[in-house]
Amino acid sequence: MVQCPSCAWPSEPRLICPQCGAPLGVELDCFAALELPRKLALDSRELEHIYHEAGRRVHPDRFAAATPAVRQASLKSTALLTRSYRTLRDPVSRGRYWLELMDEKLAENNQRVPPELAELVFEVQQQIGELREAQNGSVNTLCAAVRERREELAGLAARTQEELERNFARWDGGAGERQDLVNELKSALSKIAYLRTLTRDVDRALEGTAAH
Amino acid sequence: MAYSNKVLDHYNNPRNVGSFAKDDPRVGTGVVGAPECGDVMKLQLRISDNGMIEDARFKTFGCGSAIASSSYVTELVKGKHIDEAMALKNTVIVKELNLPPVKIHCSVLAEDAIKAAIIDWRTRKGAAAAGAAKGSGAEQRNSDKSAQR
Repeated sequence: MVQCPSCAWPSEPRLICPQCGAPLGVELDCFAALELPRKLALDSRELEHIYHEAGRRVHPDRFAAATPAVRQASLKSTALLTRSYRTLRDPVSRGRYWLELMDEKLAENNQRVPPELAELVFEVQQQIGELREAQNGSVNTLCAAVRERREELAGLAARTQEELERNFARWDGGAGERQDLVNELKSALSKIAYLRTLTRDVDRALEGTAAH
Repeated sequence: MAYSNKVLDHYNNPRNVGSFAKDDPRVGTGVVGAPECGDVMKLQLRISDNGMIEDARFKTFGCGSAIASSSYVTELVKGKHIDEAMALKNTVIVKELNLPPVKIHCSVLAEDAIKAAIIDWRTRKGAAAAGAAKGSGAEQRNSDKSAQR
């Protein structure tokens, strides 16, 4: 139990005092901060709406005339809300945070890159390397090939994102063994990380050629 | 973040960049990645029949510390026996390159890549021997995997 800094009402740890509506200023997990059930499938608009609503209720401006303890609580709760919103807003960071909550580490027993993805990484990096070194004559052809790769990567990223969402739905539905769900989640998150890094390198290479 | 001089040296003049033919029976290939940041590292070792590491190559796509870690580790294991290389700890790399705490995973990656390459070499050698003696290399592979962290 925690005590409200404003009305001294004892309450369960939560964002706002149920008695007087003042911010409690206590540490909470990201779901609890936004008063959400622990579910992975989140609607981004709804999440944004919840964040703004809660943000208004704990905003320091509302407590400018309150005691130092309440003002302090308001600052803490506002920071907590923002951190929680940023963590949950992006599905990838939400998934990573979920692993943290489950006391699992993304990199643990997970340093093998799926062979077909590794193959893709080396092929694309090779192409980028050639593009960087290319002389005027061959730049256009290479550039077109890399642009095509860019499309391919975007498609792959979209499919992996869907894989992640299917995993979220399985967690929420309580279907499947915990370890299977963890492995599935780690696999999708890792693939996304490799694809993002590769896509970033492709974009940089394309920007580099555009600058010439 | 500032890189140490040793990291910069390996980054600017990486040793042993490149690759060996994958199907060369003397070559073991390890491909590992850091799922937090998306870095990918390929490390290859050419190993003699009696288990001496004759040469090494790497290709790393990632940050300066990942490139420096793989460059340094290829230098380190050349001329060593695979048993010695298997016992290699990432802390050696951390110390040599002065890696800050946020870059320690780069050294872990290099350590894992060496081990994966040796395991790959052993597996392929086992499979080749088993193929010759019409057995199976499956048990060898399993025991190798359980020896990993």
